[in-house]
Amino acid sequence: MKNNKKLIIFFGVFCVLLTIASFLYTAVFNDKRFIAPMDMSDYVFRVKDLPVIISCVLLALYVLYIFLLIIKSAITNKNREEDTEFTRTVNPKYGYCGLFGLFGFMGFWTYNLDKTVFPFVFFMFFGFFGFFYEGKMSNTLIDERYKENRIKAQMAADKIAMSVIFIAVLFLGQGKLMGNLEYTLIAFVIVVALSIALKMFLGMYLLYHYDNDGSDGLFDESGE
Amino acid sequence: MPDFECRLKKYRQIKDLTQEQLAVQVGVRRETIMRLEKAQYNPSLKLAVDISRAVGAPIEEIFIFK
Repeated sequence: MKNNKKLIIFFGVFCVLLTIASFLYTAVFNDKRFIAPMDMSDYVFRVKDLPVIISCVLLALYVLYIFLLIIKSAITNKNREEDTEFTRTVNPKYGYCGLFGLFGFMGFWTYNLDKTVFPFVFFMFFGFFGFFYEGKMSNTLIDERYKENRIKAQMAADKIAMSVIFIAVLFLGQGKLMGNLEYTLIAFVIVVALSIALKMFLGMYLLYHYDNDGSDGLFDESGE
Repeated sequence: MPDFECRLKKYRQIKDLTQEQLAVQVGVRRETIMRLEKAQYNPSLKLAVDISRAVGAPIEEIFIFK
């Protein structure tokens, strides 16, 4: 298993290095094809294109493989949770993935550059901060109090997120924001992305909070 | 906060069971037993019956609703 992990990491590093090398090659020996903007409608294959094509295909396959591994791992974890009645094991450090949400701010830059609004979607990643709390509750026995708290937390998270969207729809639906319909769209994308993040985060945070409410008292009992 | 009095601790100690042992017997976490004893959690009927059987006392004597 450990060797398998090392092999996957080694192959990933190999693919990235190969891609970098191929791009350097095409920059120096192949008229910067694929690096500089080119019209693909009149593309004619050259043997010198092969390094870039091969490296990009390999990298794409590698990314696809990693994606499938993540899905498989998530399904296995989920099945194990259903079988054993224990919560899945999650490393709290996954919570740092929430920092990817900062990429959302790139949207302001790309919008000014070429009107691209897609990066705003990255605000959803703020929801991954919830892994800090899910990780703390790894391998917990799912008893009736846990189930009750989970439902309570999910309902509260849904209610708050839906309220934010509801208010945003009411406000933004009035018309143009700052006299510009595009700004309205951007504001709406941001609000929805942040609401999804809020729902993801609050679902885990509130569950942890409800489950450990008054936890000071947990340790003042000898259990005898 | 559930409005009831819980005498589980008394019956558990009579049976000489720890919170952990009782939790394992009825299939919940120790924290759940602890909250039950502090009357901070209102159990399901099934859990109440399981606890009643585990400590050998009637439900109405363990959980007293005002």
